[in-house]
Amino acid sequence: MSTQEFSAAFEALTAPAARMALAPLLALGVGVLVFLLCDVVAALRAARAPVFVGALILAAAAEVRILLGERAPGLVFDGTFAADRATALWGLMFVGATLLAWLASLGYYRENRPFKPEHDALMLTTPIGMMLMIGARDLVVFFVGLELLSIPLYALCAFRRMRQESVEAGVKYFLLGSFSSALFLYGAALLYAAAGTLSLVELAERDLSAPLALAGLALVAASLFFKVAVFPFQLWAPDVYQGSPTPVTALMATGTKAAAFGFLLVQLTPILPATGRATVAVLALVTMLLGNLGALVQTDLKRMLAYSSVAHAGTLLLLVAAGMGAPDEHGALGAALYYLGGYLFTAMGAFGLLGLLEADGARFTRLESLRGLARSRPVVSALLALFMLSLGGIPATAGFLGKWFVFAVLVDADMTTVAVLAALLSTIALGYYLRVIVVLYMQPPPEELEPPRTNRWSASLVGALCGAFVLAMGLFPALFLGLLGS
Amino acid sequence: MLALLCFLPLAGALLLLCLPRASDAVLRLVALGVTLVVAGLGLALFLGFDGELPGFQAEFVREWFALAGPDGTIPVRLHLGLDGVSLLLVALTALLMPLVVLSSYGHVHTRVKEFLLWLLVMETGMLGVFLALDLVLFYFFWELSLVPLYFLVGIWGGERRLYATIKFFLYTVAGSLVMLVAVIALIWKLGSASVPDLFLHTAALEPTTQAWIFAAFALAFAIKVPLLPFHTWLADAHTEAPTSGSVLLAGVLLKMGTYGLLRFGIQLFPAMAIDAAPVFLALGAFGIVYGALLAMAQDDLKRLIACSSVSHLGFVVLGLFALNSAGLRGAVLQMINHGLSTGLLFLLVGMVYERTHTRQLERYGGLAAVMPVFALFFVFTVLSSVGLPGLNGFVGEYLILAGTFEVSPAWATLGVSGVVLGAVYLLTATRRMLFGPVVHAENRKLADLGAREVGLMLPLVALSVWIGVQPSVLLDKCAPALERILERVEDARFDARLANPAAEDVQLR
Repeated sequence: MSTQEFSAAFEALTAPAARMALAPLLALGVGVLVFLLCDVVAALRAARAPVFVGALILAAAAEVRILLGERAPGLVFDGTFAADRATALWGLMFVGATLLAWLASLGYYRENRPFKPEHDALMLTTPIGMMLMIGARDLVVFFVGLELLSIPLYALCAFRRMRQESVEAGVKYFLLGSFSSALFLYGAALLYAAAGTLSLVELAERDLSAPLALAGLALVAASLFFKVAVFPFQLWAPDVYQGSPTPVTALMATGTKAAAFGFLLVQLTPILPATGRATVAVLALVTMLLGNLGALVQTDLKRMLAYSSVAHAGTLLLLVAAGMGAPDEHGALGAALYYLGGYLFTAMGAFGLLGLLEADGARFTRLESLRGLARSRPVVSALLALFMLSLGGIPATAGFLGKWFVFAVLVDADMTTVAVLAALLSTIALGYYLRVIVVLYMQPPPEELEPPRTNRWSASLVGALCGAFVLAMGLFPALFLGLLGS
Repeated sequence: MLALLCFLPLAGALLLLCLPRASDAVLRLVALGVTLVVAGLGLALFLGFDGELPGFQAEFVREWFALAGPDGTIPVRLHLGLDGVSLLLVALTALLMPLVVLSSYGHVHTRVKEFLLWLLVMETGMLGVFLALDLVLFYFFWELSLVPLYFLVGIWGGERRLYATIKFFLYTVAGSLVMLVAVIALIWKLGSASVPDLFLHTAALEPTTQAWIFAAFALAFAIKVPLLPFHTWLADAHTEAPTSGSVLLAGVLLKMGTYGLLRFGIQLFPAMAIDAAPVFLALGAFGIVYGALLAMAQDDLKRLIACSSVSHLGFVVLGLFALNSAGLRGAVLQMINHGLSTGLLFLLVGMVYERTHTRQLERYGGLAAVMPVFALFFVFTVLSSVGLPGLNGFVGEYLILAGTFEVSPAWATLGVSGVVLGAVYLLTATRRMLFGPVVHAENRKLADLGAREVGLMLPLVALSVWIGVQPSVLLDKCAPALERILERVEDARFDARLANPAAEDVQLR
């Protein structure tokens, strides 16, 4: 590289817009390094938690600056990365998910506490990957983000290495995740062969109707379908979600899903061919059906929530179907943000409380062990019930408006039949969400079993925060809709 | 005023949440106090209401949030308001609530705090449904009101409460979710969520769109009423619910369905209602007879009354879809009457159940000798329910049948047979329960009704007589609103004739 080229590259890196766009990523990246440094130097150990939180706060502040700033940076780095109000909103969601998952993990691990700092460092890496994914305007940048998210997650899934199911979850996720990465690379290669570019901005302007390009698109979409666990790539989700440590499950169910759906909706949906709309809609409905039927027969709450997360992915896939082949004209993006925002707080709260109960033994994820919990743990039960109602989309919770917006997009896109079918499928979902409330409130506690007694301030804080947000998003949606209206 | 009325119970529920659960008496007093204040507000509204004024009254409007519609944003408002029909239902709800709280003294002894809390939340939900003048807000309250009842039945209900409560919830939600899609479609097509606005513009929609949206609304309401093929949840939910829950279910919740049919079926889509009227008349008439036959076959007193609700609500639907003045008046009056008399019946069943711990008719017998005051009230209520002239039921049924006869003598005739059958099963049940010798020894020492029990029934009894003697008290309030609804129906008929003159020729011949 000549001196001239080097200085040009350096200038591009340090241009004001680039600095602004890069700031959240830098804050987190530097945060990870400082965190590891603090872990090595004995005198600095006490600073680990403040560094973790500080990095997230700085990243959030940087995102807020983009969100509220006069001029968003837009495309930077030769058009491979973008930062605008929309990506800033997604970024804030990722920061929130990481923070809540980390809070829920405080005191969660008993057996391998010495490795907790590594756990935290890995966890702090994941939002960098998510932000790269959502900001990517180039398939290679996206791939880097995807791997930066996935590789820490493989390790996190297997983090409770003394437990067979945790290791199994890690291996399963790793093998299938690598497979999906390969799918993605193969698809990207085919696209490059067909269109001669990897830039998403340029791809959007090309004619991608050639068989080669369509095959490439299908492979890329398939790899994302795998990440968000929709039919026919949903089979790994229940095992991995159940086997992983609960805070990691929470992060996967909310953060990973949000990042993958974000990319799918923002970047990929507009260039997917409109002719595939019916196919994707059918895939979405089948996903909802399988997720709901699967959840209906579960006896373990964690596994049930895993299936429910598959069903929710199906609902979100409906938005992809509605938006295919055209720039965002039906407001699918806003709907997805609200839906995922609501789902983030709901699922995070539910998994967080589940992690709290698990502290008294893994049997407390089983529904039968939770019978009559409302007597011994009224607040935990009330919050769990609230989250179940929100997952089921009952008014006064975030889930209701999320569902509303999804249906509104479908109606707007003239897919009313699909909307009605989706509505009927959500009725099945209420069947198992209500069963949880039945267990908590309407059945006597098991006599031979001590109720769970552990209290952790961190998990309680997660539950309370999530509960407050779920209610606020359901009762005062204007607060959040204002952010979306850009 | 309306905002206070609607949200005061919710505030009361939050207050209860903060109170310690140590003293049930204090909790009960707070709940009773809140419901009494709401009842007072309801009474004040009722007395101050002038039916002759056009449009909705006492409106309350606040911005809530905005939806991004196809043509600009659609504001969603906290918009409450009253017309003659909603006034009566609001007054009924406000009146029943303190009585329900009072009745719970007798049968709720565990988790009193939660029970009262859900009752109050439910009151806000029910009042909200009747008051909401924004379609989003209406749907919000509509679905929200399911949750408290789900808990009330599921925690404090009878033996098969879990089955009953889940069945009830899923049945209603299936209908509601289909309605949700219709609600969104309607708001999207017309670019407004305000109910008075929607009234102005629905006629402009394409007939097929109207038909689909009407069908989705009608399905949700038909499940709630419940109309004939959807009635199976009702018997289970009613039977397993605690007394307070049954009173609210029969007294108010079912009326949400008939109110919906009137407001969002007939008033919103008059043209569709005219087309669909034969179907609803048939379902209503068959419902009357089928419900009565079901009731005749029951040995469980509570189940019998639950089935009689199917029959009585059939009358209301019959009256609504007669689509004429007498029919509509009768239907609205009958909604109130059914709330009063079935509410009373469930209260009475609850009282006798607290003493005997059975609801099987064969376990009673000769109770009139042991509990004369109870017998007096029971016979009175049964007579009001079967439509004895001079009591409230008669006026409603008479108006409905007269209205139906104008449009369809056949269905009216079938409906009349329901009146006879109603007398058969209710009077048979009365005989088996109250008269004859006291068969079972354990029934010899039952205590008669106490002052609280008599006191809480007296207002309902007094109203039953008053409405029976002077129905104009209620009819004057609601008739102008009903006339306005009928005007819309007549307009739609006129438009249909203009569009299809050939059909008119056939009719003239």
